[in-house]
Amino acid sequence: MAKYRDVFLEEATDHLAEMSRALLDLEKDPRRVEAIDVLFRMAHSIKGMAASLEYASIAEVAHLLEDRMQEIRSAARLGGPEDLALLFRGLEGLECMVAVVRETGEPPPPDPELAAALSAASAAEAETDPKKA
Amino acid sequence: MARILVADDASFMRQMIREIVESEGHEVVAEASDGVEAIDQYRTHQPDVVTMDIVMPRRSGIDAVKGILELDAGACVVMCSALGQESLVTEALQAGAKDFIVKPFKPDAVIQTLGKVLEKEDL
Repeated sequence: MAKYRDVFLEEATDHLAEMSRALLDLEKDPRRVEAIDVLFRMAHSIKGMAASLEYASIAEVAHLLEDRMQEIRSAARLGGPEDLALLFRGLEGLECMVAVVRETGEPPPPDPELAAALSAASAAEAETDPKKA
Repeated sequence: MARILVADDASFMRQMIREIVESEGHEVVAEASDGVEAIDQYRTHQPDVVTMDIVMPRRSGIDAVKGILELDAGACVVMCSALGQESLVTEALQAGAKDFIVKPFKPDAVIQTLGKVLEKEDL
């Protein structure tokens, strides 16, 4: 699996840089659809790669980010500054986890606080969205 | 043995699929990293089977299935989906995809699904 780990590290690093650029775009314009799409696709892609390599903690955070981005995509805009801050936190969490893989070659430990914060944001969205209630 | 087009925006996933299918003697005739490229590569190579990711840039995998079927009504496309994408898989099957495989890829499951589809299509 070592060769796949290298491909993962290369591709995940590119994806995280793209997510960072997209978040900066969203900071300027919370309705920027292209940036929302990029964040959704990159989170989805990282989830798939991490799951294939059994990096459960990365797959979990990427999955929760993907879910959150799907909700934002449906709403066609960010919820507010807290939403942006949470997405930046999610990105930072993923960056730290990928760094652990790069440095140790081992699956990174979970980040339950981050996972809980992302889950809570989605739960709050579901409560305010009558379609999901 | 089948000629296969692999469409996925992640080179990681393309590499995994390639290794799995080549280990069974199939030939990957082309790769595509988005839906538009998938349609172009289909037109160029006329593969026996396409493995198609759902979430891709420019045109989604579902759009690409529709585009490929417009080129060739008998095209054989197998969707690659993640858990939680059941409704998208249903949409793709309704659009004309023949079957689906679930990520993360399990080599046995990929081979079994491709074998089933190839047999059904008499390839």
